[in-house]
Amino acid sequence: MDPESVPCTIKLPVPLQVGDVKTDQARPGVYVIDVTFPKSQDVDVSEISFKNYYTAFLTVRIQQQRRPSDPRGNPPAWRTCIKSQRLMPNPHMEDGSQDYVSLRKSQMICGTDHVTAIRLILRQPSPVWLNFTLEDLQINPSGKQSPQKGFSWLLSQLPPKEQLQSLHKGLPDPNKVSSEVQQMWALTEVMKANQSTATIGRFDSGCATQVANERILSRT
Amino acid sequence: LASLPSVKMAILKRRRAVGGSPVPRPTASPVSEAELLARSGVRGILREAVLKLLEARPEEPSAFLADYFEKLGQDLAEGAAPHSDHGSYLLGQQRLGRAMWYLRLAHHSQRTAFNNNLSMAYNCLSAGGRKKKPGLNGKSYSEVLRRICREGDLSEDISSVLLKKIQCRDHEAVPFDVFRYGVLTCFVLLEFMSKAEILFRSLDFHEQPDRSLCQAVLGTLEEALVASDISVPASYLEAGSKLGPDCLAVVMDRALLRKDAGVSMTLQEFLQEASALFLHKVKPVL
Repeated sequence: MDPESVPCTIKLPVPLQVGDVKTDQARPGVYVIDVTFPKSQDVDVSEISFKNYYTAFLTVRIQQQRRPSDPRGNPPAWRTCIKSQRLMPNPHMEDGSQDYVSLRKSQMICGTDHVTAIRLILRQPSPVWLNFTLEDLQINPSGKQSPQKGFSWLLSQLPPKEQLQSLHKGLPDPNKVSSEVQQMWALTEVMKANQSTATIGRFDSGCATQVANERILSRT
Repeated sequence: LASLPSVKMAILKRRRAVGGSPVPRPTASPVSEAELLARSGVRGILREAVLKLLEARPEEPSAFLADYFEKLGQDLAEGAAPHSDHGSYLLGQQRLGRAMWYLRLAHHSQRTAFNNNLSMAYNCLSAGGRKKKPGLNGKSYSEVLRRICREGDLSEDISSVLLKKIQCRDHEAVPFDVFRYGVLTCFVLLEFMSKAEILFRSLDFHEQPDRSLCQAVLGTLEEALVASDISVPASYLEAGSKLGPDCLAVVMDRALLRKDAGVSMTLQEFLQEASALFLHKVKPVL
């Protein structure tokens, strides 16, 4: 998974079908995939990307966090942000059937801030294909700080040249000091990077601190 | 008259039992050099030594080899075959000595070699014996840590803080990961302390460096340690820029301007404060 994508729960595709699913010979022409975010957090969606698998048309609907102006009581309304996007030029033909697709914010017909749930409606009118779905679905959030912005901030933090020239003459050699301090920093990081997650399974240490804390409390 | 040949026989018998005299008896046909090497097993011994040398890449190869062969000789004298079964019948002190020898073989930055030696040491310490159940207990583990600190001339009050955090109780079973972290932390702290000493000397341009100057430099290091977060890669850039020569020069300049005249800092105080920064980051073993 892309490190930038939001952690989310992607439910299994649910077919929409008239009649009994098991006995009916006709295959479903519509699947619905629901996406939810953990701990009911909301996400500013900037991009939805996936790999197509024989889906001809895609509709995306979103549920947004309730605004203060909204009427109370009713659950937040579903809004359509992508309407019948054509993924395969001809549903009966292979073209576009396994393309990588990325739908950006500019292509969406409504705002996509504070999204709490996403519903993808997949349609395939052609009976030629046994099955259809979307793979590698990823929801990418907006509001990522661009790395260049970070760099320019770092550069602005560096002391200006004039300040460096007006320094005290009797300073220790900054290059030597810096090199030693940096090595000390690196060594500490080596130690931190090697910290083990293994434990020896002490059960009593938590209790011991608690007892100690209680003792301190009772003293004060 | 009959006693003389019997004494000779006895000597001969003993020689055979010991496994040959140090000087090989002349044999009927002259032995080629290659055959001699093959028969004595020298080739295997040398290869083992060179492999260890390549693994550890020490700065002084001859000293390393001398140490290696000395240890090998000791092992033979003790009657334990090296590398055979990790000394399953060694006594406690011998085990400890062997483990320490493994740990010293390679510097911790030679990661593969160091890790190999760590697991050799762990196996050696945790092998079962006549009186000992297999597995590493907290007693031997803590003893190894104590020895590393002592050999590194770490002062008592610093090492006690470290050991309090990472040592285990005598009866506890120590998994390899904990052993690895504990040993590595000791070695890294020793190196950290030697760097801190060099840092102190470079700050010391009069007789004794100014206290506020020392504290300013250590404070900058502390800021960098707090700022760097492994999950945010950019934070390392930020922390690194703080420790660049330019930023440090400004920090030191500022410290000298508001210096409290004549208040200096001793090496011991400096090391104590520097070690506190490191020890604060050590994750205690639970």
